[in-house]
Amino acid sequence: MSILEARGLTKTYHVGSEKVVGVSDATLALEAGSFTVLAGPSGSGKTTLLNLLGVLDQPDSGTLLFEGCDVSGFGERARARLRREKLGFVFQAYQLVPVLSAEENVALALWIRGLPEEECASRACMALAAVGLAGLEDRRPDALSGGQRQRVAVARALVGEPVLILADEPTASLDSETSKHLLDLFEELHRARGVAFLFSSHDPRIVERAERRISLQDGRVVADDRAATGARP
Amino acid sequence: MSRWVRLAARNLRRHARRTFLTGSIVVVGFVAVTMTSGFVSQTFSSLKAATIRGTGGHLRLLDPRAAGKTDDEAAILLLDDWQGLAAIVKKDPRVVQAMPKLSFFGLVAKGEKSAAYIGTGTIPALEKNASLASDTVVSGTFLSNPDADEVMLGSGLARALGAKTGDLVTVMATTPDGALNAVDASVDAVLSYPIKEIDDRLLFLPYAVASKLLRSEGKANTLVVLLKDDADVDATARDLSRSLEAKGRPVVVKTWLETAAFYKQVKLLYIAIFFFMGLVLSTVVILAAANTMTMSVFERTREIGTLLAIGMERGQIRTVFLLEGVLLGVVGSAVGAAASFVLRLILNASGIMLPPPPGGTRGNVLHVDFIPLAYGLGFAIMSLTLLIAAWWPARRAARLNPVEALGHV
Repeated sequence: MSILEARGLTKTYHVGSEKVVGVSDATLALEAGSFTVLAGPSGSGKTTLLNLLGVLDQPDSGTLLFEGCDVSGFGERARARLRREKLGFVFQAYQLVPVLSAEENVALALWIRGLPEEECASRACMALAAVGLAGLEDRRPDALSGGQRQRVAVARALVGEPVLILADEPTASLDSETSKHLLDLFEELHRARGVAFLFSSHDPRIVERAERRISLQDGRVVADDRAATGARP
Repeated sequence: MSRWVRLAARNLRRHARRTFLTGSIVVVGFVAVTMTSGFVSQTFSSLKAATIRGTGGHLRLLDPRAAGKTDDEAAILLLDDWQGLAAIVKKDPRVVQAMPKLSFFGLVAKGEKSAAYIGTGTIPALEKNASLASDTVVSGTFLSNPDADEVMLGSGLARALGAKTGDLVTVMATTPDGALNAVDASVDAVLSYPIKEIDDRLLFLPYAVASKLLRSEGKANTLVVLLKDDADVDATARDLSRSLEAKGRPVVVKTWLETAAFYKQVKLLYIAIFFFMGLVLSTVVILAAANTMTMSVFERTREIGTLLAIGMERGQIRTVFLLEGVLLGVVGSAVGAAASFVLRLILNASGIMLPPPPGGTRGNVLHVDFIPLAYGLGFAIMSLTLLIAAWWPARRAARLNPVEALGHV
C-alpha cells in the first residue's frame, strides 16, 4: 500500500530572469515501511523533490496523495498538521534548537502538538534511548558530538511516531565511522518499527543500503531501481 | 504556555549582552516613567499648596446672587454680616478659620506720584496664618494691628511710588455708591509677590480700615475658609452649603479648584509635557527593541525553518517571539521598579532644594513621591511597548517560507 504517491510533480524557480527547473514531471509511489533513497548528483533536484514530498513546498503542477488523500491543495495549517502528525524530518546540519537540552529538542516535536509536559518528557526520553542516547538527556547540542546531535535529530523525527521519515543528506556532516553507525540506526529503526524512510543523498553508503533507489537527473526521475540496490534482508 | 515562556527566556539568555542592552533601555524607560510621575506629583502638590495659600483658604463663600455669574460680575456683590456667617462656619470641626476679604481698586499716592492698585482688605492675623503673602515680606513687618491705618505694598507698586516702609501714602477708592474716599496709611511692609503683574499692583489694608474706606462695614466680597485637611474640600463645601441654607444664610460655595484657572493650566501643561516625553521614550524603546528582535529573527532563520518543517504553526512561532518581547518588558520593568525605588530613596535623602513652583514663593526640598499607579502604568507601558516592538519581527518570523528559511546562510 502506498503511503505517498506523486503524480507529475513539477517545480520551477526563477533565478533573476532565468527559469530553473527544480523537479520536472516526477511520478513515484512510496510504500509503507519502505527504505528508499533519492540519488543523483548535486543540482539533480533531490532536495527539491524531498521538500515537495514532505509538503514543505508546493508544486507548480502535479498531484500529491498522502495515504490516498490529495494533499496538493492543502493550505498552510493543514500542511503543518500533516508534517507534525505523519512525518519526521532529519536535516544535514542537525538543526537542533541550541537553547534546549537533548530531551527538550526531542520533546519539541510533541510540544507543538500541545501534549502534556510529562508525556512529552517521557516519550522524548524513550526516543533518545531508542537512538542510544540514554543518559544524555540534559545535554545541550553544543555539548554533544556531531553523531550524537544527528541521533537527537533522529529521535526528534521519531518521537511523533510518523509513518515516514524524510532525511536530507543525513550523513553529509558526519565522518565515515559515525555515518556507518547512523545508517545502522536507521536500518534498525526501519526494521524494528516499520517506519518508512526516504533519503536524499549521494552518499554511496546510503545508496548501497537502500531497498530502492530513485535516480534523478536535471530534475527528472531517470531510474527507479529496486533490484540493482544492495538492500539488506 | 510555560514551555514557550521557558524557550523565550532561554533565547533571551542566549544573547545575554544584547538582551542586557535592550533590557537596560527598558529599565531606564521604567525609571523615567516612575521618577517623573513622582516628581510631577510633588510639583502638583506644591502648586496646589501654593494655590490654596494664594487665596488664603480652600473655600470661598460668596453672596447667593453670585450663582451663575462670572468672577468679575460676582466681585462687586457683597456678603452681609460676615461675622455671623463666620461664626456658623467655624462650628464645623473641619474648619481652621474663616476670613473676610474686601476687594477693591483705586489709586495710591505718595507725594506727587500715584499708581493704580488692586487692594485687599483682610484680617491681618488670619491672613498671615493662611496666605503666602506672609512669605513675601522683603522689608518691614507683616500687618499686625487690625485697626491701624497701615498698608502693605507689592515691591513693584512701592517702586512706582518711590515708597518704602514707614512712608505715608494716600489710598483712594470709590465706595459702592460712587463716592470718592481716601485714607492715609503708613507703609508697614513691602512684599515681593512672585507674579510681577500682581506685584506691580498689590496692596493690603486691614479689613477694618478697608471697610471704612469703602463704607462697607460688616460686608465682604468673600469669606475665605481654611480647612485642616485638603481631602475634606468637596465634602465640606457640600455640607456648608446645605447647613448655611438650612440656617437661612444661603451662600455660593466655591472650592479652590473651581477658581484656580492658573493651577489647571499649569497642570494641563505638565501632563502634556509628561505625555510627550512618554511618547518619545516609548518610541526609543520600541525602535531599540525592534532592532534587537529583528536581528534575532535574522540570526535564527534556519531554526525557524526547522520549527516550521517539523510542523510548528505560524501562530506558535509568532507567540514565541512575542513572548520574548513581553518577557524582556516584564523583567526590565521589575529591575526598573527596584532601581526606581532605590533612586527615589537616594534623591529624597539628598536634601536638594528646588525652586518655587509657578506662582509659589517657597522652594521645596526635592521629594519624589511613591505613586503605585505609576509603577503599574510603567509595567503596562513597558510590556506593551515591547510587545509592539516584537510584533513586526515576530510577524516576519511567522511568515518565513520553511524551504527558504532552511536554506538560509
